[in-house]
Amino acid sequence: MNNLTIAIISGLLYFIGTQRVGYGLSTATGSPIVSGFIFGLLYNDVETGLIIGASIQLLYLGVVFTGGNVPNDQSLAACIAIPAALATGISVDVAVALSIPFGLLGAFVDQIRRTTNLIWLHKADEYAAKCDIKGIERCALVYPTITAFFIRFIPVFLVNLVGPEAAKFLVDNLPAWVTTGLGVAGGVLPAIGFAIILLQIGRKEILPFYFIGYFLVKYLNLGTMAIAVFGVCIALLIYYKSTMEHRKDGV
Amino acid sequence: MSENTVTNKVIQKKHVNQTHLYWWLGGENSNSYERLQALSFCNALAKNLKLLYPDDKEGLREALERNLEFFNTEGTIGAMVPAITLAMEEKKAQDKEMSGELITNLKLGLMGPIAGIGDTLIWGTMKAIILALGCSFALQGNPLGVVFPFLFTLMVFVIGRYTATLGYNLGTDAVTKMISSGLMNKVIDAASILGLFMMGALSASYVRLSTKLQYTIEATETVISLQKILDAIIPGILPLLAIFGILWYFKNKGQNYVKLIGLIILICMVGALIGVF
Repeated sequence: MNNLTIAIISGLLYFIGTQRVGYGLSTATGSPIVSGFIFGLLYNDVETGLIIGASIQLLYLGVVFTGGNVPNDQSLAACIAIPAALATGISVDVAVALSIPFGLLGAFVDQIRRTTNLIWLHKADEYAAKCDIKGIERCALVYPTITAFFIRFIPVFLVNLVGPEAAKFLVDNLPAWVTTGLGVAGGVLPAIGFAIILLQIGRKEILPFYFIGYFLVKYLNLGTMAIAVFGVCIALLIYYKSTMEHRKDGV
Repeated sequence: MSENTVTNKVIQKKHVNQTHLYWWLGGENSNSYERLQALSFCNALAKNLKLLYPDDKEGLREALERNLEFFNTEGTIGAMVPAITLAMEEKKAQDKEMSGELITNLKLGLMGPIAGIGDTLIWGTMKAIILALGCSFALQGNPLGVVFPFLFTLMVFVIGRYTATLGYNLGTDAVTKMISSGLMNKVIDAASILGLFMMGALSASYVRLSTKLQYTIEATETVISLQKILDAIIPGILPLLAIFGILWYFKNKGQNYVKLIGLIILICMVGALIGVF
């Protein structure tokens, strides 16, 4: 697979992974798991692609777009780090660490998109004054998608033209302690995703449930699906108990 | 009340579904800094507003402009807001005395509380759990992991369709009562408990940190590894400290990703240099 093809596909994937027609759709199309799978097919190594993708996905589990702000862009991180890692064979942990600056840059790319959307909003004001329903529809669905294509495709296309070589050069020429350090960081960084979720839902009164989940795995080595079954049961029990009290109180 | 009830039903179930479909399609696509989801909101209603004002161009123009005003909420649970607005616009179209401000105020009043509920339930809990399950398959190289992210999108659509229908049928009063009742908080509590439980389990599997520090007793040549001692006391204490250290950072230093990530990478590199990791 030559660089140009990979660069074009990466640019397209980034556009598809960030275009916002369909609420919640880009959560799937932009998921590093999905990008990892597709790049894995291209490089004939689906397993590694999925593993790198999932490792990047873990960083972004807890990201919530409060007020429409994208604080961190999982798709940009994936569309640059995954092809670079698959092309050069750098380790998963180092790939995860390398992906992070791009995830942060993605926040700026989205700011550009939302700024250009002002044009279409004001155009829609004009259409509303003329009762042009079709015009409003184009402003809401078509025009922003077209501008988004250029904003998303071009930078990722350009970076991926040189990406794999640059990543390989970087990793080959870094001193050992830097790559070891990046590897360690790759293991620690998913902690950010979990910390964000704790920040959102980890109220003191229910925080022990977090520790129960944590140590069920550490002491008993339970798998994720097993944990999910127990988790749903516990949540249901607590919900039923609280709604029973709710009725008794007559609130 | 009787003067407010709609006499000629124009809006059918398929029209409510259409408003939801357009709301879902529009999503964050046209989101701008000035009025955020306003354009998506207006576009979700536009076709049905035209039905409500077949011959009244002035009325239609006012309705379109009214719904192009600032709006922002969580789009899944929040799908009920365009649907409730549709119900109110239907009333207004037949009752010229009804004030348009009533509709605007209702939208502005609902969007905040609904965003709070939706961000917690849909994005903070449901998304995290579904994607994490996908990760657990993908990390083993299993392509089944790819299905989960799309499952999330499907759930967003289905739940949105449900809340939109509910919103249109129940109307303003019932929805406001539901949001302010304690019942909603109990749903959020149960979902948060499930979320925390799952996140505990997943962070135990996926956050990795161990130390290479060890000490050799010269006389007997026994190697004492700090990690082994830690494992014997509390397994997984270092990753847990890392997670709560970051949580502490967020709480006390704000959510500055760039600084935090820089700090983590720096600590890891220095640690690797002096042989701690």
